[in-house]
Amino acid sequence: MRPFLLRRVLAAAPLLLGSLTLLFLLLQLVPGRPFASEAGAGVSPAAAERLRQVSGSDRPVAARYLAWVGGVIGGDLGYSWSERRPVADAVRDAAARTLLLAGTAIALQFALGFGLGLLAAAAGRRLDRLLTAAAGILYSVPSFWLGLLLVGSFSVRLGWLPVSQLHSPDAAAWPAGPRFLDAARHLVLPCLALALPGAGGIALFVRDEVRAALSEGLARAARSRGLGRGRMVLRHGAGRALLAVSVLFGLAIPGLLGGSIVIESLFAWPGMGRLAYQGTLARDEPLVLGCAAVAALLVIAGSLVADLLAAAVDPRVRESLW
Amino acid sequence: MVTGGEAPALTSPSRSAGRVGAALLAVLALLAMAAPWIAPRPPDLQEDVAGARLLPPLTRAHALRTSSGIHLVTDLQRTPDGWSGRRLRAIEIVRDQDLPAPPEARLYLLGTDTLGRDLTSRLLFGLRHSAGVALFAVALAVLIAIAVGSAAALGGAAWDAVLMRGVDVLMSIPRLVLFLVCATLFPPSALLLVLVLGATTWTGLARIVRAGLQTLAGGSLRAAARAAGAAPLRVLARHLLPQLVPALAVGAALRFADTVLLESAISLLGLGAPPPAVSLGGIMASGRESLAGGWWLTALPGLLLAVLVLSLRSAATSLDRTLDPPSLA
Repeated sequence: MRPFLLRRVLAAAPLLLGSLTLLFLLLQLVPGRPFASEAGAGVSPAAAERLRQVSGSDRPVAARYLAWVGGVIGGDLGYSWSERRPVADAVRDAAARTLLLAGTAIALQFALGFGLGLLAAAAGRRLDRLLTAAAGILYSVPSFWLGLLLVGSFSVRLGWLPVSQLHSPDAAAWPAGPRFLDAARHLVLPCLALALPGAGGIALFVRDEVRAALSEGLARAARSRGLGRGRMVLRHGAGRALLAVSVLFGLAIPGLLGGSIVIESLFAWPGMGRLAYQGTLARDEPLVLGCAAVAALLVIAGSLVADLLAAAVDPRVRESLW
Repeated sequence: MVTGGEAPALTSPSRSAGRVGAALLAVLALLAMAAPWIAPRPPDLQEDVAGARLLPPLTRAHALRTSSGIHLVTDLQRTPDGWSGRRLRAIEIVRDQDLPAPPEARLYLLGTDTLGRDLTSRLLFGLRHSAGVALFAVALAVLIAIAVGSAAALGGAAWDAVLMRGVDVLMSIPRLVLFLVCATLFPPSALLLVLVLGATTWTGLARIVRAGLQTLAGGSLRAAARAAGAAPLRVLARHLLPQLVPALAVGAALRFADTVLLESAISLLGLGAPPPAVSLGGIMASGRESLAGGWWLTALPGLLLAVLVLSLRSAATSLDRTLDPPSLA
């Protein structure tokens, strides 16, 4: 296990460097000089020159590249113009809230998808069709649409759950119990919107995996000895599906991070996605680039975790990955 | 499958679902292509902003061309010396002498938006825009994928390593995050959407091309073509790539579904193509402000989008299973 771990971590480092390089190259594609403006209104040439010096954009490309990569690795992501504080500080606060939302969503997504998939695999023909169709439809529902529908019905019409934000405005003064409940109530709708469509996809995948496992010789032999269908699904299907799902886990993270940009913006959830979106609206390059770098870091770390999970469950993975 | 009474349920439901999906897809494609001709009104026509605001689906209204502009009223009734109708929750009466032309009937099949524009027309044009952007983006992605996948598979080990690590890098930044970076750096436009969506969706397709070519490259077909004196590029274009068309078609259809979802999310955030372009996400954004007053503004574009995605995915999955049926052994 130890050499596998080492190899896998070593393989992740160039990936991160590559992502940082890609982001830097995108920045170089922008035409014109920074802070240059049309003659007349706007920044005077002298002020523009000073801004270029302060921001370091007058230095040669190689120096800027090294400063960018070195900065990210050292935890310095630059200074956000719109937030008026270091990007690293803004991202740190927001990333914790994104992890709360996306972490809850990913847990719900996999639990629900796995359960639904096992149920469909164990069910009779008619229930199976029903569940499969439901999962397929759920999978095709856009998460942002689901979010709007949920807000429209549960918040606006019924008034059961809050529309947006992390807490109620005066929650800071409340005792711990109600404060926790308040936070949980705020989490429900964005979490459902983020988790449900993906759960449909996982359910379809798990169902097919389990069915495939059950059609193999071993399971057929067990069945011929009189093992019941439900036990078959659990004993012979679930383990294999769990293996396959551990691979899906790494693939789900980019989608979840991307999806959380829209969901956080819709629900005014003060996480990284909303921060990046607001940075985009404010054309705050350091902030958006910093968020993108952290997102890449999270994706790479997530797929690392997924690979380690897969290797922990399945010795074949440990051997096969070069 | 011989054990038990149940046939493998993988194939039969998905085949009929695939047919339904393909049929729906054809209908949606026709609607999108024919939008300029079948839309009841121009999508940005604002005849009477206040009077036509947020009319629910299936509203019958009448346009009264008075000297002070067009007034849209519902519940039109004849009075002794003119017409009366409902506008802005009040009764409006127009006398015959103020009305040079008779009232014109209007049917708002799917209602109107917050600016009094016809939602049927906007949905048709929105579908056309969103699907069009996704189509161009996926076409671009297929071209990049063929170029990169072929170079990786046939160009030697060094090219293969460099290009496939590039694919890994591109895949490690979420597409929407990458789009936000580009939207910060460049002004919004339909072209930016196509370029960025296309440049971020080819990675999976390139892996399909590469894997397919690696399988084919060792085969006798390539050897025979080379022996007959065909140039390498000609072998690629004439003998190898055509065999990858089915796998690429399935992959492209699935990417199309993802891309159309992403385009709508971007437009919902207000970062898509600027007006007068109409996008499904943009229509949904306009409905966000009136969730209580106009459910149809969010519900209908999302429904259209979900149907498009569902039919794309079921058609693609069904095609995939037809080409490569799960083994029944």
